[in-house]
Amino acid sequence: MNYIFHIIIIINIYIILTVSTNLLVGMANLISLAQAAFYGFGAYLGVLALMILKLPMIPTIFFVMFFTALLSLIIAFPSLRLKGDYFILATLGFQLIVFTVLYNWISVTRGPYGIPGIPAPKLIGIIPVSGIIPFLVLSSILAGFVIFIFYKLVHSPFGRVLKGLRDDEIAVKSLGRNVTNYKILTFAISSAFIGIAGFIYASYVTYIDPTSFNLDEAIFILAAVLIGGTGNIKGPVVGAIFVVILPELLRFVGFPSSIAANLRQIVYGLALIILMRYRPQGIAGEYKLQ
Amino acid sequence: MNEDILQINSVKKSFVRNIIDVRGKEENERFFIIDDLDLQIPREKITALIGGNGAGKTTLFNIISGFMSPDSGDIIYQAENKQMSIIGLLPYKITRLGIGRMFQDDHIFHDMSVLDNMLLADADDFGEFPFISIIYNRKNKIIEQERIEKANSIFKELFGEDNPFWEKRDEPAKSLSYGQQRLLGLARLFMGNYDLVLLDEPTAGVNPQIINQILIIIRSMVEEKDVTVFLIEHNMKVVLDLADFCSFMSHGKITAFGTPDDVIGNDEVRRTYLGV
Amino acid sequence: MLLQLLVNGLIIGSIYSIVALGYALIYNTTHIFHIAYASIYMFSSYMLLSFYINLNIPFIISFIIAIGLTILLSVLIEILVYRPLNKKRSSLNVVLISSIGIMIVVINIIAMFYGNETQILNPNISKSISIGNIIITYSQLAQFIVSLVLIFIFLIFLKFTKFGIKTRAMRDDSILCKVFGMDINRMRLMLFMLSALFAAVGSGLVAFDVGMDPYVGMPMLLNAIVALIIGGVGRFEAPILGGFIIGILQSLTVWVFSSRWQDAVTFILLILFLLLRPQGLLGEKKRAV
Ligand SMILES: Nc1ncnc2c1ncn2[C@@H]1O[C@H](COP(=O)(O)OP(=O)(O)OP(=O)(O)O)[C@@H](O)[C@H]1O
Ligand SMILES: [Mg+2]
Repeated sequence: MNYIFHIIIIINIYIILTVSTNLLVGMANLISLAQAAFYGFGAYLGVLALMILKLPMIPTIFFVMFFTALLSLIIAFPSLRLKGDYFILATLGFQLIVFTVLYNWISVTRGPYGIPGIPAPKLIGIIPVSGIIPFLVLSSILAGFVIFIFYKLVHSPFGRVLKGLRDDEIAVKSLGRNVTNYKILTFAISSAFIGIAGFIYASYVTYIDPTSFNLDEAIFILAAVLIGGTGNIKGPVVGAIFVVILPELLRFVGFPSSIAANLRQIVYGLALIILMRYRPQGIAGEYKLQ
Repeated sequence: MNEDILQINSVKKSFVRNIIDVRGKEENERFFIIDDLDLQIPREKITALIGGNGAGKTTLFNIISGFMSPDSGDIIYQAENKQMSIIGLLPYKITRLGIGRMFQDDHIFHDMSVLDNMLLADADDFGEFPFISIIYNRKNKIIEQERIEKANSIFKELFGEDNPFWEKRDEPAKSLSYGQQRLLGLARLFMGNYDLVLLDEPTAGVNPQIINQILIIIRSMVEEKDVTVFLIEHNMKVVLDLADFCSFMSHGKITAFGTPDDVIGNDEVRRTYLGV
Repeated sequence: MLLQLLVNGLIIGSIYSIVALGYALIYNTTHIFHIAYASIYMFSSYMLLSFYINLNIPFIISFIIAIGLTILLSVLIEILVYRPLNKKRSSLNVVLISSIGIMIVVINIIAMFYGNETQILNPNISKSISIGNIIITYSQLAQFIVSLVLIFIFLIFLKFTKFGIKTRAMRDDSILCKVFGMDINRMRLMLFMLSALFAAVGSGLVAFDVGMDPYVGMPMLLNAIVALIIGGVGRFEAPILGGFIIGILQSLTVWVFSSRWQDAVTFILLILFLLLRPQGLLGEKKRAV
């Protein structure tokens, strides 16, 4: 049973990652390869809040959201001045810089040694949330909250501007909307919520190190979104479930774990190739990648 | 208040062409598509801009609306007793100042619903800042309702009581016919509060019946909403029918300006452009 | 010490140059963000491993077979994945994501068969020559000389052969090329072959020196992309210049900080170029029409 709960917790974390990333990829047509960097910001900021500032849970979440968004803007401002390929390349560059810094700035992040013993976040300052059931509840509530917020955003006038943006950026400009501002806001919102995923991950696993937030992870998050599909809420949710369940299924079928790890990657890769060819909107999405 | 809403003063714009010949030698060549162009657009009138293919008309529109910056020169916009240069402003700022634009190649939102196309064009952008619509949920609902009413009344005013646009309001704009898409592009301009609109070949490629509709709409813009219209047009019948003034562009300059009859009767225009 | 580092930088720079050149052949002409190039690069090392170590075939012959098979992989990628997308007029982002998919597939197939560990081709310590204080191993020397020769041949080829002129024309305008009756599909195929050749040679030379694991492609690809951007997108001399600059810069980083910060410095350089001089060192401000 605990095994299933564990899977659900991981799915919840990935739902937060993919639903937030979808705002960038599927709504604003910004393909970012820096998502793992934001995820890492969330995790390390969560550790900072829990271990050093000793904040209770709710303030920790706000702390993480705020500062992840702020750090993401350092990346967003320069990248957004670039178009197309160059934008993607810039996010890729930043992803690698963030990883190198997390990995090598040992005096602050402990680098490859990682940070063990992350304490349980405390609800209302006293009740610690630890153990699998409380995390199941916590992660489900947060994933539900993120889905709700993004649903609301997509169906608000703000969401309409974003849809306009991915459809025809020039037209949006000509109607008097400041396109750059909207992109920056989108970036900040997307990262703020990704920060939450980082926080849950860190406090659930109680140990983090930089390799959880490297370029492979960034590609993996992007793949999850694109496999599930972009442009609506359903797509990313399906994507998160797919990428988390698939390796478990492969294990279940009885592949030795050494091969299963490669095999699941091969399935993701093939899924991307085939979907891009025949169904660029992903399994359950509505927006065809442009 | 000055009679001219827009003064274009000695604007220049050049592009670089990269040429590679058969032997593989490369050369870059700079050419001026707009070369010291002067033009005044009279307020609350319809001014047409004519000229051959590739004369640089659309480029001029791009410069006025901020999508391109000129090499040199100035453009002065005179709105409500305030006179300002609009060179260097971003396109959205220029729109906010009251200069609307319809593009040669449509630029309506094909994958969005017909209604959303209208709502996104509203002059008031309340609720478009993230979370505002969630925090001020009630106010947002009221404003959205008002926007929808506004779109509906514009459709009714322009296209009659039972119009296809309102009927198809929830369908994607790409489901409209080409002519209807152009009309939607025009109708969208009524959602904003514009003093000057730039229309790039509004009648290109549509059937005579829709051309008539477009003419009526443009006239009503000027007569009922006191808008100034500056339009690029290749159809001389439309120019003669509609425009108060006409300007002819060639070699990067305005070489003839006056009433449509005068300009179209001008020797040079007849010879170099109309080919008669 | 500094001199030794500079020489090392120059040598690794020559490898970056040819790998970047292979990438530029695709990027400049088709605008494909060819991430799968990373796996093409890695593939060559493993083919060399199979023939040279596992089947015990002489090195030169193994190397030639490896290059041939790598070219075949590149051709398959173009025919099975890129060409159909091009035919469907898929957007470049779609092609990019497909390319990521290919990379993931190839890397994991190799990892499945050969394992994740580092494998070496040359268990002996390479002989070396010393000039003053500077020590250069034979395999380094081979890297440098082969790269330079390859670059030299390529530049001549580009300038004087019909294929070279067509390549430059395609860089400028592939629609126009079609109008002039060039067979774009055939051109692309040749470009993918040539590009894989550069990757395969670079990969084999490096693998002989330091060995390989299934993930060597990505860092090399990233260096190649940075070399291309620094040099200037569009010109074929540019990635050569960029490759040497990165090689030397990375050795200087080792000298001033430590090798751990090499990547950070490289990518900060990338970001600075993207923002301040997106046309690169050799590019022109605007390449219009
Ligand atoms: N960004 C650009 N870079 C280089 N050349 C350009 C650019 N934009 C336009 N041109 C060139 O400038 C010329 C004028 O274009 P423009 O669109 O302004 O003409 P036009 O008068 O609107 O023509 P038409 O009546 O066909 O619409 C064309 O030859 C075009 O190729
Ligand atoms: Mg035009």
